Amino acid sequence: MHILKRHIKTYRLDIFFAVISVMVMAGATLLQPRLLQEILKAIMASDQDTVNQYGIALIAVACVGLIGGILNTIFAARVAQGIAADLREEAYQKVQSFSLSNIEKFSTGHLVVRLTNDVWQVQSLIMMSLQSLARIPILFIGAFILAITTLPKLWWVMILMIVCIILASQILFKRMGKYFGRVQKLIDRINTIAKENLQGIRVVKSFNQENNQQQKFDHDSDNLTQLNTTIGYLFSAMFPGFMLIANLAITVAIYFVSLGVASHPQDLAAIPAFVTYLMQVLFAIMIGGMISTFASRGLVALRRIGEVLQTTPDLIDEDVNDMTIKGDIAFEDVSFQYPESNDTTLKNISFNIKPGEMVGIVGATGSGKTTLAQLIGRLYDPTHGNVLIDQVNLKNISQESLRRGISYVLQRVILFSGTIAENLRQGKQDATLTEMQNAADIAQASEFINRYDDQFEHLISERSANLSGGQKQRLSIARGVIGQPKILILDDSTSALDARSEKLVQDALATHLKDTTTIVIAEKISSVRHADRILVLDNGRLVGNGPHETLLKESAVYREIFETQRAKEI
Amino acid sequence: MKDIKQAVIFFSFYLKVYWKALSLGAILTIMATYFQVTAPVYMGKSLTELARFLTTWMNPMTRSTASKEHFYTALLMLLAFYIANAIAMFLSSMLISKVSSEATGQMRHGLFGKLQKMTIKYFDSHQDGKILSLFTSDLDNIFNAMNQAIFSLFSNLALWIGVIIVMFQQNTKLAWVTVISTPVAILFAWFVIKKARTAIDQQQDAVGRLNGFVNEQINGEKVIITNGLQAQSLHQFTDYNKDVRQTTLKGQIYSGLLFPLMQGMSLINLAVVIFFGSWLVLNDGMDKAVGLGLVATFVSFSQQYYQPITQITSIYNMLQLAITGARRLSEVHQQDEEIESENTENLPYIQDKVTLKNIHFSYNPGKEILHDVTIEVKKGEMVALVGPTGSGKTTVMNLLNRFYDVDAGQVLFDNQDIRHVSLQSLRDHVGIVLQDAVLFSGTIAENIKFGQPTIDDQAMIEAAKQAHIHDFISSLPDGYQTKISDENSVFSTGQKQLMSIARTILTNPDLLILDEATSNVDTVTENRIQKAMDNVIAGRTSFVIAHRLKTILNADKIVVLRDGQVIESGTHHELLEKEGFYAELYHNQMVFE
Ligand SMILES: Nc1ncnc2c1ncn2[C@@H]1O[C@H](COP(=O)(O)OP(=O)(O)O)[C@@H](O)[C@H]1O
Ligand SMILES: Nc1ncnc2c1ncn2[C@@H]1O[C@H](COP(=O)(O)OP(=O)(O)O)[C@@H](O)[C@H]1O
Ligand SMILES: [Mg+2]
Repeated sequence: MHILKRHIKTYRLDIFFAVISVMVMAGATLLQPRLLQEILKAIMASDQDTVNQYGIALIAVACVGLIGGILNTIFAARVAQGIAADLREEAYQKVQSFSLSNIEKFSTGHLVVRLTNDVWQVQSLIMMSLQSLARIPILFIGAFILAITTLPKLWWVMILMIVCIILASQILFKRMGKYFGRVQKLIDRINTIAKENLQGIRVVKSFNQENNQQQKFDHDSDNLTQLNTTIGYLFSAMFPGFMLIANLAITVAIYFVSLGVASHPQDLAAIPAFVTYLMQVLFAIMIGGMISTFASRGLVALRRIGEVLQTTPDLIDEDVNDMTIKGDIAFEDVSFQYPESNDTTLKNISFNIKPGEMVGIVGATGSGKTTLAQLIGRLYDPTHGNVLIDQVNLKNISQESLRRGISYVLQRVILFSGTIAENLRQGKQDATLTEMQNAADIAQASEFINRYDDQFEHLISERSANLSGGQKQRLSIARGVIGQPKILILDDSTSALDARSEKLVQDALATHLKDTTTIVIAEKISSVRHADRILVLDNGRLVGNGPHETLLKESAVYREIFETQRAKEI
Repeated sequence: MKDIKQAVIFFSFYLKVYWKALSLGAILTIMATYFQVTAPVYMGKSLTELARFLTTWMNPMTRSTASKEHFYTALLMLLAFYIANAIAMFLSSMLISKVSSEATGQMRHGLFGKLQKMTIKYFDSHQDGKILSLFTSDLDNIFNAMNQAIFSLFSNLALWIGVIIVMFQQNTKLAWVTVISTPVAILFAWFVIKKARTAIDQQQDAVGRLNGFVNEQINGEKVIITNGLQAQSLHQFTDYNKDVRQTTLKGQIYSGLLFPLMQGMSLINLAVVIFFGSWLVLNDGMDKAVGLGLVATFVSFSQQYYQPITQITSIYNMLQLAITGARRLSEVHQQDEEIESENTENLPYIQDKVTLKNIHFSYNPGKEILHDVTIEVKKGEMVALVGPTGSGKTTVMNLLNRFYDVDAGQVLFDNQDIRHVSLQSLRDHVGIVLQDAVLFSGTIAENIKFGQPTIDDQAMIEAAKQAHIHDFISSLPDGYQTKISDENSVFSTGQKQLMSIARTILTNPDLLILDEATSNVDTVTENRIQKAMDNVIAGRTSFVIAHRLKTILNADKIVVLRDGQVIESGTHHELLEKEGFYAELYHNQMVFE
């Protein structure tokens, strides 16, 4: 709740008006039966003037109610969407301050849900609260009091009805809450199955698993149907049940009025008003119950957003300095363990890289190459030891300086929907056309970019569906080199390129980014063979560090890798 | 209008089987309505009788004849109607719940089944998210509408008509007063709904754009962090959010306006009815007891008369959403399914060879990808496809498994065109390891056994060993029972690929296709898999697509593709001697001492 506090303050005037208008509306609703009663009394007394007076009052009250309702909607909408948008912005800002491990802890999918769906739920909650929450207690208490003053003798009928309804709804809503939780779980499961079948449709088809998948899907789907039916039954009982309780109360009331009608004839005129109040009490309870179910959902959403807002970023800058990176890298006894993992992924790694060096990293899949590279880019902080750039601990270098100096081409290419130019400019915001062309040349991307009529303005669609794997990698490399970084990390970035293009990229890098410290992670020895030095990783340990020839002699691990790639004698 | 027609066809298709329950539900609804509209009459009557009694009793002359008998009868009738109403309402509502959840279940089943049958082309040309929203939002909208709106529309219409009939029976003048404001109310409602609809459309568009943006950005957060683009991203976000702000405000106001508006109209109408009713009683020389009852009755009527109008207008949106949902679902159902030609046969085991014969193929008309490609694999041989990215290697694989059909030419197993055998048997014979490894949520065991769910664990472990993933799996605390999902797995990219290799090995296919299956595995691991693979491939006909030439040096034939054409083919030695494209690739790639 407290995350809303500040926002509530921003909109306090609107909230004030929303509450006032809803009170006016409720007041109008409450006044009406009372006026009706007066009119009926006047009819009994054949008093035309009084009837006219009250009649006009009645219409006036109705109009006031209508206006109140409209104003309330407008103010409530202003508050609800305003707070929701502010909240969304606040949460997004928070997420953008997160480090990668923060995001992994939440998982990408969940974060997206929190920013989209959950905020939407909160918005509905606020809207509903302002439209009804204030009205329900007023209506309930007002109608209750007025009903009792209308026919004081029958106070117990009201109490009895309320007790019955509250008891009944307690039972119903409790069960329903339980069912709703299960429904949500099933829906999630069904969506997961559907999603995986979309992503893996080729696998499903090539293994002829359509029927099995359908069965798996139907299992959950049938359970959902069952549950929906049960919930439907509960709802079916609810409305008629409540109505019946109220109607029974009405009948009882009329009966008891009739018993004493001889001594209290004015009670007769009070019956319609009493009935109306009774109905109002009933509706207040019903709507209140409904809102509380919705509200609990909204409150869950609010709590989940709260979790995002209250998370502190894992990587905190403490007395950082801006500096121009030259490209010297040093690892001092670095160990690293992923937050969610129980193994150390990197174990006591130490090495130095001089500015302008080209260093290759090889090792089996899962040996920790990507992890090591991520430490250089400070996507994570080491759990032990230090990573230094130009002899300064990474933790003391401003993010700004790091991002300017280091460029990291990811193993899994991520491009954003938008133009090619927009994607390249992510590497350098103010890149000129010439710079883009140069970068594209280095990455061997010019060849296919030039084939588009609109060249750099060509649109990349969602999930880069209109590009091949090789094209994506080339754009990703181009984005990496466009800023002329001092340190360039290529994490298996040429795996989808054919050998010729790969060679061209390497040559271009060697000529255009001579002074850049380049770290090339590769599966292929040929990609790193000409590097100044090669680091060999095995199961998180650094087991080799030296040029190709030396490693061949000294490192068994390296030799094994090399053997698998050696050209066969012709 | 076309939408509505489509929706009607769609709903009648799924609701047909429930016609008995639906008719019963309709009858019960009409009964419930009847009880509901008649009850106020008896309430009025009981008040009238009570007033009569009172008048008689007040008059000393007639006091002795005063009796409440008529009053009691009316009160009992009222009670009976209330109870009957509750029962009928409960029963019809139960029927409706059952029908709508079951029908939605059928739709969900049907949709999933349809998706399983559709061509790969559909999936390649539609975004997963859009397809997924059929499950998440469209089916949901339909369910909500059926549960709350469609039947409520029916019962409210019944109620509305019922109230009108009874009102006119009771008192024509008062009835006219009650209904006279209807056109005004409907006009207002129509105006607000129209405004709301445009506003909501705009709002949904803006929200959709925002959600898409957020999704993409957060999924690409690594790029944002490594390039320090947070501020820029936030800035873009603010723009999207501003749009949402503006459109949502309008959307919420207009759609929220309807209810208070209709309720206000109902209040005003009630006031008018009371006002006019009492005037009528006083000036029309009506019996006061009767008049009192009449006004009380019409107070009830006026509320009941407006209730359906309010309800119908407020469910309009829901109906609209359901109609859109129904249209989208019917569109999916109209999509092409994978073609099974009629008299299909089962594909026998390969006797001699698999041939791609003079194949022309295009994904989109006018843009031919493969030009007259001919490749032949002898039984038990391994053919390797090499060539630059985009040259059409994966496309060839798409054709072998009949994910797509050729434009011209033939894919022949021995001399059998694959279009004349059943898809099931074709795919039973063909095993593929795809470029992108996909895993399904479930246990590791379930994933390896994906193609052969009933096979025993021994065979599964054997397959895992051959794929060099057994040791890793065994090292996990839960071993083969470890729960995984595609996004959240314990595997690295390479290990995922090992999993998909194990999965394929287990099905023991007749023709094996490896599409760069090992491109994300290190060469040492690959070498190990290769040795295992050699055993698997031995005696098996196989197509291997690879960038790493080392893995295909032993191929019986290497086919070099470029721009959708076969430019060279032969054994490794032959191609090296040719000193053509392949030789260049080889020299670029391998390490020479
Ligand atoms: N985000 C992560 N959370 C937990 N474990 C991870 C994560 N990313 C990688 N790992 C694990 O760390 C090990 C090293 O992975 P990685 O650095 O990607 O290897 P490489 O790049 O050499 O293939 C692997 O065992 C992998 O499962
Ligand atoms: N589903 C598709 N729709 C349209 N074009 C496609 C589709 N898949 C691939 N292509 C195009 O077909 C060509 C060949 O692609 P592909 O067979 O994937 O090449 P390779 O496997 O050799 O890298 C490329 O130009 C690619 O853009
Ligand atoms: Mg890696």
